[in-house]
Amino acid sequence: MLDAQVTAAILGVGLAGAIFYLVRRDHLHGPFAAWWLMVAAATLTLGMFPGVVVWLGKITGINYAPVLPIIIGLSMVLLRLLKLDIDRSRQERQMRRLTQKLAILEQEIELLRRERARGADIDGKRRGER
Amino acid sequence: MSLLAPVDCLAVIPARDEVATVADVVTGVRKTLGCRVLVVDDASTDGTAAAARAAGAEVLMLPIGLGAWGASQAGIRFAARNGYHGVVSLDADGQHQPESLPTLFAAHERDRANVVIGTCIERLSVPKRIAWQYLRLLTGLSLRDFTSGLRLYDAQAMRMLAAPEASLLDFQDVGVLMLLATKGMRIVETPTTMQARKEGRSRVFASWAVVARYMFHTTILCISRLDLGKRTNSQKSTGAIR
Repeated sequence: MLDAQVTAAILGVGLAGAIFYLVRRDHLHGPFAAWWLMVAAATLTLGMFPGVVVWLGKITGINYAPVLPIIIGLSMVLLRLLKLDIDRSRQERQMRRLTQKLAILEQEIELLRRERARGADIDGKRRGER
Repeated sequence: MSLLAPVDCLAVIPARDEVATVADVVTGVRKTLGCRVLVVDDASTDGTAAAARAAGAEVLMLPIGLGAWGASQAGIRFAARNGYHGVVSLDADGQHQPESLPTLFAAHERDRANVVIGTCIERLSVPKRIAWQYLRLLTGLSLRDFTSGLRLYDAQAMRMLAAPEASLLDFQDVGVLMLLATKGMRIVETPTTMQARKEGRSRVFASWAVVARYMFHTTILCISRLDLGKRTNSQKSTGAIR
């Protein structure tokens, strides 16, 4: 049977390793990696030093200290999800504006093309008259 | 404030799969106002764009469907970029009669309004009336029809609506009107006659589930945008109260 500290160490180091691998393979955008490395560090710290959990439990008044890592973990996940939706809203706005801009520019190009064709027509006729 | 002449305006018609009616609407608007007409094709799959072009309209083709407001905003941005003085918007399904458009210009002239909404009171169903009463209370806007797509925007309103601020709105109703009202735009309503839709149905009032979702989202929007004291006296309704 593994010791709890060893399990936490494996989880933390494994997570950190996976993050570095993903950034290296260009699957994860740099700034996102920072958050996940922090999560890995927190897992490692809380798992390797259970004293920290007991100490935090005393400070925060949570009598049953073992539940503390779960609460912290869940809050972090919620924060992350909220941040994700904020980012998605920003991207949605950008996507909508880009879509509109694309259609507008396409139509403006079309109008310019038509004008040029008309200009070429008139030039051609003038040359014909001469 | 300078008055708008119809020929200096751009008529913006957002359309999704309206091939049956769009050509008639374009022809009607061109005949009535003599202005240029822009159909914003909201990712249709039925040849709406070709029908609109054949009827003499310019067409914006959105590669991704953005909904009625996203399409209208694309048209408003086009108008702002290309130096138009105002935008007239109407639906492509034929429910707004092009002959009623001069009424909007008359109301604009009479009330010196930045935004004119063409409203058909008779057309409002009981659930709509209840919904609008609720929205009136929530927004503080004394309008009778929030969703009517028959509108006239002047250059100032046009610039505000072209901004990124208005890009995350999903409908052209409450969010758009609250944005305009908080910025001090004068909004008036004028009674017009409308026809029953020839094709298709209201996107907002399609089913009870949709209505419930719409009201819920709108309520959240209203509460989050509430800005007491700023909206008083900026809008006004005209016409007899029924």
